[in-house]
Amino acid sequence: MPKVFFATDLHGSEVCWRKFLNAGRFYDADILICGGDMTGKAIVPIVQENGHFTFTLGAEQQAIEAAQVADVEAQIRRKGYYPLQMTEERLHELDTDPDKRAACFQQVMLDGVDRWMSLAAEKLRGTGIRCFVCPGNDDEMEVDDVIRRSDIVELGEGRMVEIGDFTMISTGWSNPTPWKTHREESEERLAARIEAMASQVPDPSRAIFNLHCPPHASGLDEAPAIDADLKLMHGGRALRPVGSTAVRKAIESHQPLMSLHGHIHESKGAVKLGKTLSINPGSSYEEGVLMAAIVLLDARNGIKSYQLVNG
Amino acid sequence: MADATMGSSSASRPALFLRNATGLVKAWSTFDAFIYSFMSVNLVTLVLYYGTASGYLQSDGQLLSAVLFTGVMVTFLVIVYAGLVTVMPRTGGDYAWQSRVLGGGVAFVLAVTGWWFILWYWTPIYGNILVAMFINPIAATLGWTGVTDFFSHPLGIFVACLLTLAYVSVVVTLGMEAYAKIQKVSFWLGVGGIAVVAILLLLYSQSDFQNAFNREASSLFGAKDGAYQATIDAGTKAGYTPHDVTFFSAGPTLLLVPFLLFALLWPNWGATLYGEVRGAKEYRRPFWSMFWGLWATIAFTLVVILLIAKTMGWTFYNSANSAFGAGTAPVTIWPNPIMFAGWLVNNHLFQVVLLLVMGAWFFGWAGTLFLSSTRVIFAAAFDRVLPSWAANISAGRRVPYGALVLMVVPSIVVSALYAWNVFSFQTFILDAALVIAVTFLGTVIAATILPWRRKDIYASSPIARYKIAGIPTITVASVVAGAFLLFTLYEWFSNSIYGVNNRTSLYFMGAMYVLAIVVYAVAFYVRRSQGIDLNKIHEAIPVE
Repeated sequence: MPKVFFATDLHGSEVCWRKFLNAGRFYDADILICGGDMTGKAIVPIVQENGHFTFTLGAEQQAIEAAQVADVEAQIRRKGYYPLQMTEERLHELDTDPDKRAACFQQVMLDGVDRWMSLAAEKLRGTGIRCFVCPGNDDEMEVDDVIRRSDIVELGEGRMVEIGDFTMISTGWSNPTPWKTHREESEERLAARIEAMASQVPDPSRAIFNLHCPPHASGLDEAPAIDADLKLMHGGRALRPVGSTAVRKAIESHQPLMSLHGHIHESKGAVKLGKTLSINPGSSYEEGVLMAAIVLLDARNGIKSYQLVNG
Repeated sequence: MADATMGSSSASRPALFLRNATGLVKAWSTFDAFIYSFMSVNLVTLVLYYGTASGYLQSDGQLLSAVLFTGVMVTFLVIVYAGLVTVMPRTGGDYAWQSRVLGGGVAFVLAVTGWWFILWYWTPIYGNILVAMFINPIAATLGWTGVTDFFSHPLGIFVACLLTLAYVSVVVTLGMEAYAKIQKVSFWLGVGGIAVVAILLLLYSQSDFQNAFNREASSLFGAKDGAYQATIDAGTKAGYTPHDVTFFSAGPTLLLVPFLLFALLWPNWGATLYGEVRGAKEYRRPFWSMFWGLWATIAFTLVVILLIAKTMGWTFYNSANSAFGAGTAPVTIWPNPIMFAGWLVNNHLFQVVLLLVMGAWFFGWAGTLFLSSTRVIFAAAFDRVLPSWAANISAGRRVPYGALVLMVVPSIVVSALYAWNVFSFQTFILDAALVIAVTFLGTVIAATILPWRRKDIYASSPIARYKIAGIPTITVASVVAGAFLLFTLYEWFSNSIYGVNNRTSLYFMGAMYVLAIVVYAVAFYVRRSQGIDLNKIHEAIPVE
């Protein structure tokens, strides 16, 4: 009986990635699935000046000595941010030139993913644990190439893969968001993308749909309402369903055994949509807590058990 | 796609480069969150209904000092909760915080008793407040004596509970966004109404009030002439010892605090909801929203007490409550200070409009009854402690029908027990605060040891840099808040004036804890047979 460990939306948190790689042994899982949005959202400059380094975290600027830089970098990575040492001139350059900033971001993200692939090789080689990663809408397209180069981690995007007696299809694309991220498209195009894979699934009752975006109005897609200025409304308490109608339609029409989602960090949950168990384990990457789902699959009965954990 | 810089620590230097990514939003308004907190520590439905109205029970105490002292001590609780929101945002409040520090079993028992089971008992309290603050004074002013009679009897109380349940269920069904709008409208209506009350009490003299009271008591309730003095006589005969509002005696003043906590313990009521707020990691926003929710209420309370003392007379106000408790008051419905203030204007239409407007304090508040409970039930279902159907929502309107059933059905049973006063159920009012205080105490204990017990989470949080004499501020605040809660719990359990330490009350509360333990134990063994280890839910995966 394969045991699946699913986590998602790590957003550059190296602590969470290390926990993800260790989860196989910790929970006796055979399959690790990372559901997307691996890369971080921010760079924290560590500026070298006058013989010391300065950085700002939590709205407080701090000055440190060279010997402390490694600890600070680890602290920043823990939150899912990218620490980057630079001179004042480089800081000014990135501040004033959007193209150079974009190039810098891409470089640190790809370096980060590359480092994660190396960590995966160290931790998983020889264990027999299979590890799948499917980049999400926040991950640039170039991330796929870095994953493809890994001989341990398998890229999920756009493929149907066999997991024992089960099949899994994956995509990290989402419906449109206010942030216009890298992998988002209209509901029609997303439906076609999913259908191209779903139509190849031999037996939906043994299929896993690993779709980054959760199904619309499922309870797994409730995000805080924002106004046109991206400001949270009603003290952040107002929630609205923002999931994909294409994803929902794919689940309702194909009725796979299970669907795995992320994207909306606050909307942790597990719900039944017809015969399908749909799960969004949520994400607390900033705390370094790995929220995840453990699913024990059974060749005869489908899902033997499932559990959401905060590892 | 990197297109933003932010958080400059100096005018010219960026602290952070952000790229376009899902969920990067601008901060929420502290004022919006303040409204939720302010309506939870509700000046009218909680403070005036019970907090100040209980003053006669400890007549040697000074209410003004007691309110201030309670505010200071509850502020430490605010510091603790704001800290926890900052360290562990998006986690769902007490249940998740305690789970991660104290373990899932303890957290489940404390959270479901405080955020779920005891809310069954809050339902008849809410129903009673609906009658006392809204239905009866309006009906009396309109001369609908049949209505006030009906709602004074068990069936009427039960119907009020059902009306409350219906309203709260609709609010839960509409969701937080709609409720936030209701709250905002209610807030402005309520504040406007209380301003009118304050102006009336400020402008009129005590002799004006005596005349107005005698007039309306006679007109609406058929009281004999001199109802004002008759009320004082009845109150003192029932045991109230008159004092000036400034009379101070330390011991009795301290004993007023456990009464006041019924009203002032709740600025953190929205903490379960901050769990879903992006930007909550910034300590100041959750702190200030709760802080001002508490202290704005305290400021209003002090002003209202002083105005009541000036215009109605402090002896009269306490006597009215004392006489009503004894069933000997000339005005036969609960002595509503809003209704009394309205009587200063000799116009029943004005009085009704004022009461309708002040009803906003109830309708902007009552939704808080089940909203947090729903979150706790969901969290327990996701942790597989409760069956998965408990977290089900309907496909169309996204109604959390599983959680609603678990709230509404037991609430109806408890409401019936309350309405017909089976086992003296109507006397357990402070049980409702006590059980939640125990839950808060569990959270405070978790916060005390958090910096050491979950160093991995705490050390990287924004509050890790706040220390007092080398000790984490959250620990210092937790120790003070914990000591305060322990003092209050000691008084509740040991002093019979609070109506808590009688056998049936203790059985009632004990039954809730036993039920929680049984539910967890059954879930633990059932899940284990399914290959699920509940102990694993919050166990940290090794990093290295």
